[in-house]
Amino acid sequence: MADYKKLFPLLIKNPDLHYLDSGATTLKPQVVLDKIMEYYTEYSANIHRGLYPMSERATMEYENVRKKVATFINTKHESEVVFTSGTTASLNLVSRGWGEDNILEGDEVVISEMEHHSNLVPWQELCKRKGAILRYWLVEDFQLVMADMETYIGPKTKLIALTQVSNVLGTVNPIEEIVERARKINPKICIVIDGAQAVGHFKVDIQELNVDFYAFSAHKMYGPTGVGVLYAKASRQLQMSPENFGGGMIKEVHKEGASWAIGPEKFEAGTPPIAQVIGLGAAVDFLSGIGMETVASHEKELIDYAIGKLEKYSNIRVLGKKNNRIGVFSVVFNDEDMGTAHDWSSILGSKFNVCVRAGHHCAMPLHNLMGLPSGTLRASLGIYSTKEDIDAFVEGLIEVRKIFEETDNG
Amino acid sequence: MDDLYQEIILDHYKYPTHKGILEGGIEAGEVNMSCGDSLRITAKVEKGKIVDAKFSGGGCAISLAAADILLDMVIGKKLTEIKKMSGTEIEKIMGVELTPSRKKCAYLGLEVLKKLVNV
Ligand SMILES: Cc1ncc(COP(=O)(O)O)c(C=O)c1O
Repeated sequence: MADYKKLFPLLIKNPDLHYLDSGATTLKPQVVLDKIMEYYTEYSANIHRGLYPMSERATMEYENVRKKVATFINTKHESEVVFTSGTTASLNLVSRGWGEDNILEGDEVVISEMEHHSNLVPWQELCKRKGAILRYWLVEDFQLVMADMETYIGPKTKLIALTQVSNVLGTVNPIEEIVERARKINPKICIVIDGAQAVGHFKVDIQELNVDFYAFSAHKMYGPTGVGVLYAKASRQLQMSPENFGGGMIKEVHKEGASWAIGPEKFEAGTPPIAQVIGLGAAVDFLSGIGMETVASHEKELIDYAIGKLEKYSNIRVLGKKNNRIGVFSVVFNDEDMGTAHDWSSILGSKFNVCVRAGHHCAMPLHNLMGLPSGTLRASLGIYSTKEDIDAFVEGLIEVRKIFEETDNG
Repeated sequence: MDDLYQEIILDHYKYPTHKGILEGGIEAGEVNMSCGDSLRITAKVEKGKIVDAKFSGGGCAISLAAADILLDMVIGKKLTEIKKMSGTEIEKIMGVELTPSRKKCAYLGLEVLKKLVNV
């Protein structure tokens, strides 16, 4: 396996660290950090305003990232890429910017039981405001119950919002099939996909998916925090109202009123996170440089290794499917009195240098559904993950069990 | 942090003295939303003193052990004394310095108890 660790300064500084929380946020490669630093030290001007060379360069670099992202996820038009502050902001922009004007009383909105809170609460709130009906697509055996699809999605369904990949189970949902079947029922249905856990792990092709909106965050794909993307289909953009008002998003302003710019600028009021967008561009270059097929096959090898290893322990339960998944592993112990995920994660961190996450991972309904109200322990992979990291995690977990097993009364 | 999961804490977690429910006592409960811990304390109060108390609920080893340790400390104490107690006293008995996220777990019992004595 190629050694990607040397591309990440944090891992060079901490060679003994087993970072297995990439699902929460990935580490950043040197090339991304350099590109951000270059902006701040060489052409740190605002965009779209100055006519001097430094500002022109900043504008060009910023707009170049739109082009890069459009190519990376294969959108039809570059102007369909809207920069936001992250997945959460993107999904809220859809629910307010599109949902507010287009979802009416009595309409139905379908989401699944495996959604992250950020693809759940905005719809809950929208339905409350509009008197619309929110329906939950059932999850069984760690996946959407495909046979039931037509019972949830009918002529009244105006919008479906689904995650492409579950951040708890690793399950990859069959978006293309869902889109095809949904459009047969209602060709005008608006399809919103949460791609937070997908874009950094395998090739995402928007035109093939044929969705209306697609949201993701830079910080989960080796880019900086504070920036994300909303892919918004050109025809849908025309149906949207801006959410924020101010500079940069207007065509004309008069004392009596204003009109909006056409295109992604309409949704990017104010000075955007320029350095972060430029950093996102570097992250796209980083991933394209490795190649998404290589990224996916690197992770696949590790997924198979991890599952094979975890399966040997009958008292550890791994949630999720063996195939059609990404490298996110949520585990629990099968027996009682072994503490909760919080205990395991804190011991793994302090004693074994293993960084994993504990809790609900922002998916409380899913955990309640699985009968695990006190949460799960989640390890998640990135390009720098190795078999040694997985070994450290599994061996650490066994040691954690011992700590609880060895406590005798007296 | 290294000795957070030491013998005395694990003992309180696995073999608690005060686990259960006191029928007919006063009660209060609280959840720690960040980790799903939920704790309920029932207590008997006579002449302004806690004469007996029990806790129930589910949570991480630290929150449950801390609740057991806390009840050890407060049975026999006056309500006025309990109102003045702070989390650092529990930390002292646990013998460790807690990180901010683990403080939330360890202080959950005290939070519930304060709710209980204030009603
Ligand atoms: C599936 C999924 N959706 C949405 C989000 C929210 O992303 P962000 O916090 O970057 O807005 C996350 C990240 O935690 C996620 O895993």
